[in-house]
Amino acid sequence: MIEDLVQMANQIGDFFDSYPSQEEAVAGIADHLKRFWTPSMREKLLAYAEEDGRELSQPVRSALARLQKPVAGA
Amino acid sequence: MKVYVPRDYSACAMGADEVARAIEREAARRGLSLDLVRNGSRGLYWLEPLVEVERNGERIGYGPITEEEVEGLFSAGFLEGKEHPARLGDPEEIPYLRRQKRLVFRRMGRTDPLSLDAYRQQGGLAGLTRALTLSPQQIVEEVTKSGLRGRGGAGFPTGIKWKTTLQAAADRKYIVCNADEGDSGTFSDRMVIEGDPFLLIEGMIIAGLAVGATEGYVYLRSEYPLARRVFAEALEKARAVGMLGDDILGSGKSFALNLYIGAGAYVCGEETALLESLEGKRGMVRPRPPLPAIRGLWQKPTVVNNVITLASVPVILADGAEAFAQLGVGRSKGTLPVQLSGNLKRPGLVEVPFGITLEELLFEYGGGTASGRPLKTIQIGGPLGPFLPPSLFPVTLDYEELTKVRGIVGHGGIVAFDDTVNLGRMARYAMEYCAGESCGKCTPCRIGSTRGMELLDQILSGKKGPEAAELLVDLCDVMVNASLCGLGGMTPFPVLSGLRFFPEDFGYSKEEVEPLLQKV
Amino acid sequence: MRNGARQITVWIDGKEVTVPEGTSVLRASALAGVGVPKLCATDSLEPFGSCRLCLVEIEGKRGFPASCTTTVEPGMKVKTFSERLAGLRRGVMELYISDHPLDCLTCPADGDCELQDMAGDVGLREVRYGYAGKNHLQAEKEKSNPYFTFDPAKCIVCSRCVRACDEIQGTFALTVEGRGFDSLIQPGPTGEFLSSECVSCGACVQACPTSALMEKAVIDLGLPSESTDTTCAYCGVGCSFHAETKGTTVVRMTPNKESLSNHGHSCVKGRFAWSYASSRDRVTKPMIRKRIEDPWQEVSWTEAIEHVASEFLRIREKHGRNSIGAVSSSRCTNEEDYIVQKLVRAVFRNNNIDTCARVCHSPTGYGLRKAFGESAGTNPFDSVDQANLIFVVGANPTDGHPVFGSRMKQRLRAGAKLIVADPRRTDLVRTPHIEADIHLPLRPGTNVALLNAIAHAILEEKLENREYIEARCDLTAYAKWREMILRPENSPEAMGPVTGVPAEAIRAAARLYATTRPAAIYYGLGVTEHSQGSTGVICLANLAMLTGNVGLDGAGVNPLRGQNNVQGACDMGSFPHELAGYRHVSDETARRGFEQAWGIEIDPEPGYRITNMLSAATIGEFKGLYMHGEDLVQSDPDASHVIAGLRNMELVVLHDIFLNESSHYAHVFLPGCSFLEKDGTFTNAERRIQLVRQVMPPLCGKQEWEVVQEIAQAMGYPMHYHHASEIMDEVARLTPTFHGVSFEKLARLGSIQWPCNEKAPEGTPVMHRGEFVRGKGFFALTGYVPTREKVSERFPLLLTTGRILFHYNVGTQTRRTANTTWSKEDLLEIHPSDAEERGIRDGDKTELRSRKGSVVMRCLVSERVAPGTVYATFHFPENRTNVLTTENSDWATNCPEYKVTAVQVTRVFEPVRAEERENGKPAKRREIVPAAGE
Repeated sequence: MIEDLVQMANQIGDFFDSYPSQEEAVAGIADHLKRFWTPSMREKLLAYAEEDGRELSQPVRSALARLQKPVAGA
Repeated sequence: MKVYVPRDYSACAMGADEVARAIEREAARRGLSLDLVRNGSRGLYWLEPLVEVERNGERIGYGPITEEEVEGLFSAGFLEGKEHPARLGDPEEIPYLRRQKRLVFRRMGRTDPLSLDAYRQQGGLAGLTRALTLSPQQIVEEVTKSGLRGRGGAGFPTGIKWKTTLQAAADRKYIVCNADEGDSGTFSDRMVIEGDPFLLIEGMIIAGLAVGATEGYVYLRSEYPLARRVFAEALEKARAVGMLGDDILGSGKSFALNLYIGAGAYVCGEETALLESLEGKRGMVRPRPPLPAIRGLWQKPTVVNNVITLASVPVILADGAEAFAQLGVGRSKGTLPVQLSGNLKRPGLVEVPFGITLEELLFEYGGGTASGRPLKTIQIGGPLGPFLPPSLFPVTLDYEELTKVRGIVGHGGIVAFDDTVNLGRMARYAMEYCAGESCGKCTPCRIGSTRGMELLDQILSGKKGPEAAELLVDLCDVMVNASLCGLGGMTPFPVLSGLRFFPEDFGYSKEEVEPLLQKV
Repeated sequence: MRNGARQITVWIDGKEVTVPEGTSVLRASALAGVGVPKLCATDSLEPFGSCRLCLVEIEGKRGFPASCTTTVEPGMKVKTFSERLAGLRRGVMELYISDHPLDCLTCPADGDCELQDMAGDVGLREVRYGYAGKNHLQAEKEKSNPYFTFDPAKCIVCSRCVRACDEIQGTFALTVEGRGFDSLIQPGPTGEFLSSECVSCGACVQACPTSALMEKAVIDLGLPSESTDTTCAYCGVGCSFHAETKGTTVVRMTPNKESLSNHGHSCVKGRFAWSYASSRDRVTKPMIRKRIEDPWQEVSWTEAIEHVASEFLRIREKHGRNSIGAVSSSRCTNEEDYIVQKLVRAVFRNNNIDTCARVCHSPTGYGLRKAFGESAGTNPFDSVDQANLIFVVGANPTDGHPVFGSRMKQRLRAGAKLIVADPRRTDLVRTPHIEADIHLPLRPGTNVALLNAIAHAILEEKLENREYIEARCDLTAYAKWREMILRPENSPEAMGPVTGVPAEAIRAAARLYATTRPAAIYYGLGVTEHSQGSTGVICLANLAMLTGNVGLDGAGVNPLRGQNNVQGACDMGSFPHELAGYRHVSDETARRGFEQAWGIEIDPEPGYRITNMLSAATIGEFKGLYMHGEDLVQSDPDASHVIAGLRNMELVVLHDIFLNESSHYAHVFLPGCSFLEKDGTFTNAERRIQLVRQVMPPLCGKQEWEVVQEIAQAMGYPMHYHHASEIMDEVARLTPTFHGVSFEKLARLGSIQWPCNEKAPEGTPVMHRGEFVRGKGFFALTGYVPTREKVSERFPLLLTTGRILFHYNVGTQTRRTANTTWSKEDLLEIHPSDAEERGIRDGDKTELRSRKGSVVMRCLVSERVAPGTVYATFHFPENRTNVLTTENSDWATNCPEYKVTAVQVTRVFEPVRAEERENGKPAKRREIVPAAGE
């Protein structure tokens, strides 16, 4: 399952690639994950990012870092 | 040394091609060099093939000539204009021709139809040259003043039609020439196209200038293969010298003209069916309105005129509207090329001003029946025209006068019959003709013509009593008043006129039919 | 012309009537309440003037003009009846009847025949011609079409059928052969409807005034006695029909002339292919089994519902709140979709609800909401009449949405320009009297590249509508988007090679689209079913805003929805992140509304999408699924992934009308209702809500909403609807865009396009007039990201997929009708050069293989596809598309990438059934053991 999640996340990252600033891209990815993913999916990806994360693109990893807090609080 | 042998479909049917070839052969055999010109026919068909020799600017005619007679003709010295049993002298002095008033047909038979030089020398292009100096409104005005009416049969004032199209706003307009000459006993359109094609081209260009159309089509019936060849060649020549194209005679104005060959349907002579056919569709009549003058070809304003109508225009422009309007009578102005055929001694083309009596046409021109038997009736205006009895022969050729006696001018074709004709059979033929040519769109024509045929068969076989006559009249009433176009609407004319004037041919007495005929 | 603004007053038999200029005298008479006899005129066809019955007398005019072809003139005085007219009409009718059988009593149209009515009207008492003459009475009947016959003996040659085929349907299949008395209606040169161009839309049958063209069902069963208006359950056009019945048997379905979605037109599916509803394959009793290897056991409704409820409760208890969920269907009614998502949210107590719109138009919802603020198409179908340019992208309306396709063709024949972007040369590209101005045959998967390049050309050539953008759009977003689009990598010259379309063609399309106003975009699954599906939708929205084509008639961005109720299913809150009316579950105000009404708390976090449910199942986190009118095994991506997921569940409940491919993996089967058996509403592609009315009682005894309600009750949640209308009342109460909707109003108005509320009490045909729903139009960035699916040496061709006219999606319905007469199997279209290279000839059996699997199909060698692209339909279960297609999906919505698969095609000699290879022996798992005591 984690492979699916990694691929989905990277694909979301690709879309935001055309944004002019890294900041906007990261915000866009984070917002998308928050609005469309279940908490358990986000948690799984976060766990993966923390222990390995090699397959994830840089903007996705940044977005996950940003999500960490609100998810933990949810 | 010029020798003329007509290249005209009727003349050819009489052997003109064979005669022409025989003349060439014989000249070669005798080591003579002569210039053989294939001219148009002068329309004196009982004299075809009519061979003419031109000597010192004078023409001497010999006719009719058969292929076999050619050698004798040479031997008699026809090239020097010498005597021969068929020698006619100057053809234009033959009373039949001399007494006519040839306006539209003024060049007919005189020249090589495909020589633009000859066309110009004989007065061609004068009308167009003048038209190029006028505004569209002025041209329309000139045509209106001439009193020219549609020669296809409807007799609608041409100027009014043109004005409608001129005033219709559109990005594109068309001139369409109706050359689907399908009426039996008519041939004037064919003669023009075969014998003086530049005249039609000139008329169509003027029409284009008048209404603001830059494209035109000639819709020619497929049964005129020679006309097709001649006209196609004339178009090429007209394009080559800049008579057609983007710079008409150096005026900067443009007109493109195309030839379209029909597919053999009589109903396509009806202008809206013609337009459908021209658009590549099944030739079916369109309801009116809209008038073609406002929404015609490809839904654009379109002038649809008959060949003779368009061919009359250069003359009107060249000679002035007044000259044209002075001829004729009442509201029937100018001349009409009448076509005489059927059982007559002298069938042919007679262009005369309106106002002549039918009698004069039939006897003084036509010479009475060819069979020598009494002339029983004539059919005027094509296969759907009424039959008229001798008592009506004093009527003058005039749209209004003929209408008064339930006759029509139509396209000017008159077919004569002697006393061996049975009008019941002719009525049956009219229904058969309609059944064969009906497009099948409207019910009165589609079913009515077949029922009419069947009913007349029963009547003529004597199996039915007067109630059949009543049904026949009722059917005619429905066809006349409920048909979508003239095909179904006019088919009863020959039927009813036959019944009215010759009831005995149907097996009825005058007393039996007269009350029935009150209805229609 | 008939809508001319100038009003003209005329007198018909002394009655004054005022009508628009251009109105016919016949129509004016009808408006004055005066009936004039007629046979060839109908109000849906152009005047023709052939029957000659409608003759009238007009003061000042000669003769008897036909009132159908004569237009009104100011002050006209018309007399519609006189003795003279009566005589003429009787004479015409006498001619008609002289070539018509006198067998009224045994004629199938007896009582429903205009010729019969007119003969009575004109008082025909005898046919004096007799019957010995020439006639067509012995002419042979043409019966090749499975649904209707043509009897030349009954034909009156009014050409209504020919004209309907030309003017309404636009197929030009019929003609009049011969002339005069021999005129005969002919479907093409063979004289056979079946082998002709005829698409069996039924327009000719509908137009026929006699029984010349007659439904076979009417011939067999007689004329129907009752009629109920309902809505077709096939595609997203949502045609309204009169379901005509005798007792509880449907005799025929005839299109509703009053309907704004179809205006009296129909297609072969809606008009004729409804017999699946009474197919023998229908399962009408609930069934359960312990293991999927067991045969089915028929049980009572009580037992089935108890079982389902207790199992869901048990699983939730054991595996947690998020271990169960449901998938609802775009084939079902709004009320059913609403109650299923309510079951999930209020009874299951999570957001694990998804819908099959996921696999078709989920990117539409995402993209249009992002750009405009609302997840729906912008314009009504009628708006196409005003479009001067039609841009069709990835849609094949003449096959997929035939009734709208015909409508579009009418507009195109009237002169609108057309651009088609499609890998395949669809019918629209060249069809009778229509030729696309520009066809962009792009390589599958490159929509975004193409649309960006079009935008680039528009901007570079300064053809954008600056005034509109400044007034209507978010300028900060626009500036960013403009900067991105104008980058050299998005130029037509750069993207040309990527898309396979010459740069000049892209520029020509850009110029034509930007300079012809108004311009309307219509798109379909060829845009959405891609890894960049949502981006593609946004691209289209951006193009429309760039040229000022949103918020006005004749323009807009218009999705052609695949299924009857895709729009509605999405509207009803069937997605895991949204409540009804597209409000995110994190939206507190929205949530509170439902919480108060339902007396529970709603999870503010999104639930699983279908694919997530299946993935979670494979790792044991998801255990129970309620599948409502949906066949995941057949229609969701990556069949093996789906099967693995289902196999790992403890409870799979299937609620459907047939045992389908997914039923092999189900534990409970609940019989459902066809659209003829239930009440509710469907919402079509133009947001039009229309009533579905029960025509016959449910074969299984219960409407589907009742079953869901009973499950909820059995799970301990109170639910007490008495009728589907009460469900809609609740939707209306809780959803701002539906506040004004009710069954009563729907019945009164015929249909309503949402939003319908205080601001728009009768609905909203054109959205975003003056202002976008979101305020300012938003240009989102649309960088092109190539799909991961690429051709290789092993898989050198790109497969794209589509629908044919005669079948519908996976064929569950149409394969159970006579539509199989036209198409008995799927076909693979391949370009002659690709076929030649592989030694494949037309009609050969071929194996189509992708990285994922293979299917066997017959080949159609055709230049409709470009070299390098192959095209197939997937209407038959032996050729499941998802055996081939990859796991790729849209980045934003997980809509699967069904339109791009790298494949190889080889000729085979021994056909192998894919099903056998995949599933072993499916037959056994379909065994049913009847309930005890039967």
